[in-house]
Amino acid sequence: MKILIKGATLVHHDRTEKKDILVKDSTIAKVSKKISSQEADEVIRASGKFVFAGFIDMHTHLRTPGREDEETLLSGALAAAKGGFTTILCMPNTTPPIDNYEIAFWIRKVSQNIGIVDIYPVGTITKERKGKELAEFGYLKEAGCLAVSDDGDPVASSLLLRRALEYAKMYNLLLISHAEEKSLAAGVMLESDISAKWGMPAIAEVAESVAVAREIELAYFTASRLHLAHISRRRSLRLIECAKKDKIGISCETCPHYFSLSVKDIERNNFHANFKVNPPLGTEDDKQAIRKALKSGVIDCIATDHAPHSFLEKEKSFQEASFGMIGLEFAFSLSYQLVKEKVLSLEVIADRLSYRPAKILGLEERGEIREGLRADLVIVDLEKEWVVDKESIVSRSKNTPFLGRKLPGVVEYTISGGKIVYKK
Amino acid sequence: MGYKRKALILNKDDFHKTLRRIAHQIIEGVPQVSKICLIGIQRRGVNLAYRLKRIIDSLEKVDIPLGTIDITLYRDDLTAIGPNPEVRSTKIDFALDGKIVILVDDVLFTGRSARAALDALMDFGRPEAVKLVVLVDRGHRQLPIRADFIGKNIPTSLQEEVAVKVEEIDGKDEVVIWEKD
Amino acid sequence: MWQRRHLLGLKDLDKKDIELILGQAEYFREIPRRQIKKVPSLRGKTVVNLFFEPSTRTRISFELAAKRLSADVINFSSSASSIQKGESILDTLKNMEAYAVDIFVIRHSFSAASVYLAQRTKACVVNAGDGANEHPTQALLDMFTVKQRLKKLTGLKVVVVGDIAYSRVARSNIWGFSHMGCEVWLCAPPTLLGRDFSALPVRITYDLRKAVKEADVIIMLRLQNERQSEKLIPSLREYRQHFGLNPDILKGARRDAVIMHPGPVNWDVEIASSLKEKIMPSILNQASNGLAVRMAVLYLLKGAAE
Repeated sequence: MKILIKGATLVHHDRTEKKDILVKDSTIAKVSKKISSQEADEVIRASGKFVFAGFIDMHTHLRTPGREDEETLLSGALAAAKGGFTTILCMPNTTPPIDNYEIAFWIRKVSQNIGIVDIYPVGTITKERKGKELAEFGYLKEAGCLAVSDDGDPVASSLLLRRALEYAKMYNLLLISHAEEKSLAAGVMLESDISAKWGMPAIAEVAESVAVAREIELAYFTASRLHLAHISRRRSLRLIECAKKDKIGISCETCPHYFSLSVKDIERNNFHANFKVNPPLGTEDDKQAIRKALKSGVIDCIATDHAPHSFLEKEKSFQEASFGMIGLEFAFSLSYQLVKEKVLSLEVIADRLSYRPAKILGLEERGEIREGLRADLVIVDLEKEWVVDKESIVSRSKNTPFLGRKLPGVVEYTISGGKIVYKK
Repeated sequence: MGYKRKALILNKDDFHKTLRRIAHQIIEGVPQVSKICLIGIQRRGVNLAYRLKRIIDSLEKVDIPLGTIDITLYRDDLTAIGPNPEVRSTKIDFALDGKIVILVDDVLFTGRSARAALDALMDFGRPEAVKLVVLVDRGHRQLPIRADFIGKNIPTSLQEEVAVKVEEIDGKDEVVIWEKD
Repeated sequence: MWQRRHLLGLKDLDKKDIELILGQAEYFREIPRRQIKKVPSLRGKTVVNLFFEPSTRTRISFELAAKRLSADVINFSSSASSIQKGESILDTLKNMEAYAVDIFVIRHSFSAASVYLAQRTKACVVNAGDGANEHPTQALLDMFTVKQRLKKLTGLKVVVVGDIAYSRVARSNIWGFSHMGCEVWLCAPPTLLGRDFSALPVRITYDLRKAVKEADVIIMLRLQNERQSEKLIPSLREYRQHFGLNPDILKGARRDAVIMHPGPVNWDVEIASSLKEKIMPSILNQASNGLAVRMAVLYLLKGAAE
């Protein structure tokens, strides 16, 4: 099967160019000025459109096994494809958790059978995510894990985290940390003038940065690779910037909601639970700092922290509802919004959504549009806009604060491993 | 749609003469002056009751108990959509049991205010009798209620409004008819 | 004229609204003194006290207020209910609403729970305390008491002392008194105050003597003993020493200063028991003033319910 993408502008992490792409089976066979239509079985006429390397999401929750009513590997894969993602990592906070070879292997195999996008399970750091004993990193790696994380229950013991970092190094596993000092985070929104006004139990701004500081020091000390998940605070970025200058082996991600929303949006929307997320939405100041760090590269990548929740989990008062929002289907548009606002360039988007995540995860055949690499491609129309409505959401869950919002940039095609897996 | 002034029914002099006449009629009609008490219905009935008290007190050398009653909480015509009218003061600091209550209102129209006032009065005790005084009876009764003492009967159409003005609230004593424009 | 459908808090009211409620409450004080302590204003209306958190005094006050207005009253408390079977608060409200309820009086331990429910019902909602957010009728009755005693509500120095961060009464009083043009002072150890109160219209001090100086109104909050476990303060002894109201500290206040407490008082912790005789009348007065204020609120909302 040969697919020709004709007349599009290719967005690389460092440049854009007008070229045709010929996909043959699962790889990019040819990238060239003009490729004849005769060479292909199917031609996608894409003049005026833009092509990115398939996006890579380092942070999703697919709720499988355990809450298949909220998301399945299939529905998650379809949502990813619609959002232009071709590789996603799913977090291990499932029931039971992905803390052993059998579950990790099962997720990897089932998702390969589904075959829409590539799903890599993230293994746990500790057995049952309890923060007591290390999980079997070797077996997890063998089952297909690229990274380990205890997700929302970060390893509290600094000694155990040290051991984890040391042990992970042996298997070249990436340790992903949800950096949060729990004792400072017993709340439902950012500690701010708004939480004070409404008497809401609040999460201190430094609950994240205190933990980030510890993670950085342990990454330095163990000389191990550590990736910081969903960074949301200006203070954390200061520490990360400093650590990067010191050549400590850390990387980090942020999520579209942290550069699109602020704590004010919670009040503006009458405390609708769809705005409840952890880490909590920050101040306007945090939002600006995130945008700046995305541009400068202090933030390496954009991940979604796609967190599906059933209707019931969110149809509750703000204080009792669950944390989290879905994100796979909106991440590109929300990122592109920053291009429209002249904060980022298209190349930076390509870097943060494709190139760098591939580098961080060691996925050498992905993240770029280059001959010989895996044919993971996404074609977008940047002229078009779309409105987020419940019916159009592919994910099994509909919990997003962007319902009703008009967003710029529409994914037209997603090609994963040489197959068209999404077509508008 | 506005209202325009149609006719002056009572000027200041007529207004005062009428009150004096009513006072005399009360004294004549209720021989046991010691049993009389006056209760004005909010708002202008309160002022009229006070005027009547002054006249009766000076004629009979007595000090007639005076109270006020607000009927807002007893009204049956608040079903229309919209904010509730503000409640005003109710003050009856004497026992009603065995008294002859002279209830004072400015205008008698449908009878619903008088009905509400009677209901309210009954929550304060059991008077021996209740008599109704109105400055103007404009007709169009919807309930079987009549006044015992009437200042002036004025046949009106439903297009008209009767406005009783008192010095204390409106700056002058007079009764005017307004007509829908 | 009252146009609002709900009373969820004082933060979004203005001076006029507060004056209207307090003015109306004045006229409702007389009703309980009648031979028949009842008016037919809410006849045929249904008021549901939806209490998801235990409360006796507030519930009784609202129940009596509604009954004196002739409403039919249903009391729902979560301890005896389906909440324990896993029914959500919204389901509970919706099930009740099916009985054509006109007014819900809601108490919940979660902040802004009243806002959440109010947006999802056709009935009127009165917030009877939600988490640490607001308890508007309590603050209104405090303001009513102050107005009664000092004959005015503007330009006063109002001091709120104690467990402020977790107090809905404190928040409602802060909003209410500042809307009326009072200078509101907060006095508490930082651990009971929270970081972000400076964003509210208040002045903050850790010195009770300074706070009470020339004060017209002193609102002492209850030190929640349950909070002790969180170790917000080292001991009751030290708290009493620095934040307890005693006759000596009180000398600095204005002679006619009004001292209030939402009750029940931890005597000899937040207030010295030697002040008991001086303070009890105003605390007991709260019951009758609370009733008048709640009757006024229910009456005003009823207009919006129709």
